[in-house]
Amino acid sequence: MTTHHECDVLIVGSGAGGATSAAILAEAGHDVLIVEEGPWVDQGSVSPFSLDQMDKQYRSGGVTVALGVPSIAYTEGRCAGGGTEVNSGLYWRPPEETLERWRSRYSIKDFATDDILAICEEVEHSLSVQPVPGEHTAASRILQRGADKLGWQNGEIPRWMTYPEGAGATQGRRQSMTRTYLPRSFDAGARILCDHRLDKIVRNGRRAVSAQLTHAGNPVTIAFRDVIVCGGAIQTPAILQRAGLRHRIGRTLAVHPTVKLSAKFDAAEHGAVNTPEDVSVFQVKEFAPNMSFGGSASHPGLVALALTDNWRDFGKAVTKWPELAIYYAAITSEGRGMVQAVPGMRDPIVTYRLTKRDRDLLGQGLARLATVMLEADAEEVYPAFKGAPIVRTRADIGDMASRFAASKASVMTVHLCSTAPMGDDEKRCATDSHGLVHGTDNVFVNDAALLPEAPGVNPQASVMAIAIRNARRYADQRAG
Amino acid sequence: MSGTVSTPSTVARFADGLLTNELPLLSDDRRREVIDFIGRRVQVLPSLTRFGVLMIGRFVDVTGMIVGHATMRRFVTKLPIPLLAEYPRLVRSLGFAYVWETWPDTTVDGGTGVAP
Ligand SMILES: Cc1cc2nc3c(=O)[nH]c(=O)nc-3n(C[C@H](O)[C@H](O)[C@H](O)COP(=O)(O)OP(=O)(O)OC[C@H]3O[C@@H](n4cnc5c(N)ncnc54)[C@H](O)[C@@H]3O)c2cc1C
Repeated sequence: MTTHHECDVLIVGSGAGGATSAAILAEAGHDVLIVEEGPWVDQGSVSPFSLDQMDKQYRSGGVTVALGVPSIAYTEGRCAGGGTEVNSGLYWRPPEETLERWRSRYSIKDFATDDILAICEEVEHSLSVQPVPGEHTAASRILQRGADKLGWQNGEIPRWMTYPEGAGATQGRRQSMTRTYLPRSFDAGARILCDHRLDKIVRNGRRAVSAQLTHAGNPVTIAFRDVIVCGGAIQTPAILQRAGLRHRIGRTLAVHPTVKLSAKFDAAEHGAVNTPEDVSVFQVKEFAPNMSFGGSASHPGLVALALTDNWRDFGKAVTKWPELAIYYAAITSEGRGMVQAVPGMRDPIVTYRLTKRDRDLLGQGLARLATVMLEADAEEVYPAFKGAPIVRTRADIGDMASRFAASKASVMTVHLCSTAPMGDDEKRCATDSHGLVHGTDNVFVNDAALLPEAPGVNPQASVMAIAIRNARRYADQRAG
Repeated sequence: MSGTVSTPSTVARFADGLLTNELPLLSDDRRREVIDFIGRRVQVLPSLTRFGVLMIGRFVDVTGMIVGHATMRRFVTKLPIPLLAEYPRLVRSLGFAYVWETWPDTTVDGGTGVAP
């Protein structure tokens, strides 16, 4: 039996873009219905960065890949709150020069840097963005120590966390969307349907009129006045393509590719360095925006995973996992990818092509990251690419660099954007300057897909600031 | 080995061989649990990836019946043939991640009981 719902504004997806849009529009008096493919999972009910979390809160259990040479593993949140529920919570405002470049290169109207930064300030307040009041984890201190010894610029990245007074890094409570903007939207009357997957938006010419969904195997339809697609940078273009919208959609996927290594430290001197439930809050920005270094989740299972490329040589380190932590080198990529919905297939095909400069940069990044680790007194470093040597001295880094090829590396990313870029330059952009899809009257995008390029820093603040800006503009133009 | 409730039999057979070979001291119970986990993850892979994994799995399995499963496993794990090499990599990654997340005191050959 088909269930039917109606609303003024249908919001697809409840992540950084969807939740903020819902709060602004519901508070402006619109009748808002959010549909979310994933379940509602209370913060704290699953262990962060665990396989259990991947089962419950990630798309495809976290095993998703953009095909290419090398293929790039990526992950997407799939639950109420989207990626904000599972991510590391590291907050970066969009850099001013990035905002300026986007404004001029993509002809984005009403996009004054000061206005975006003022919204960032609001976001910081709403999410309680702050540094760790108490002690840092050993993994954080390692990155700081190594970079300091080299004289390389580094610092603590504030997070959207609340802490008991003076508490250490691991005691933070993540201020994700299920704790902040979603409750705010419910207070203003918004509704949410979790475990509801939007399959198709039905259009009549320039207007979208209804949506077809599936809930527990049963069909659901929703009639609406306007629809705002916030499914994230992979699902949003696929949803639009299934609705027959293709102009500049899904053709310019941008990511921050990363390569990783595990580093082992002397337990007698440094104690346990592995904090499974947290990541380093320090980043090394000496070579930004081209490359940045930071810490990754280091559950014992993830340590094993990071060693599998060279199991014969590296495998024995796995029993020492409390003394190991995983770090990444991320680059800003010149390459671009594609997202392509295929009729009859549930999931889109995703591809990504790294340029030669990208591949070289990944190698340089890994070498510099290994240098930071050695300076921080790592006994052994295990780079995650096939055929890598164990690095114990500076001389080994040269050997490692000469053996590196991106095609042999486990490249991955958690920052996905730019698959429906916004701007009035129709040749480059899929939507206008405020997210209205070109060629439609009432289909909007308001998520990471809109960012014209990868911002070169952790992207959630950029996604939220742009989503709030666009939602306000919508509310100003269409009375609730 | 036949497939379990959620693991296609071709993938189960390959995973069983790979785990037996690379983690020889992993107990039968644990190996079965790991294979189940791998199967669950394969079932939720994105459409194209799942299709690819199942096709490669079948190819490896059928060829294994002719040349021997151990020979075929050595062949696909050693040679860097694009796509084909991703199959053992996926199975190993999922399997090893599950083993050490679930039983963190596992030794490098899959044995139990060495507290880290
Ligand atoms: C592991 C990880 C770590 C990260 N760390 C950081 C960090 O430290 N700092 C930072 O700034 N950023 C980080 N990010 C990135 C950040 O989380 C994203 O940039 C942000 O969440 C993107 O917001 P979004 O609204 O575009 O998409 P999402 O937050 O991904 O939300 C999209 C939502 O739409 C839903 N959806 C998709 N398709 C459908 C459909 N057909 N029907 C119904 N619902 C659908 C999804 O289930 C999902 O919940 C991280 C991401 C990940 C995965």
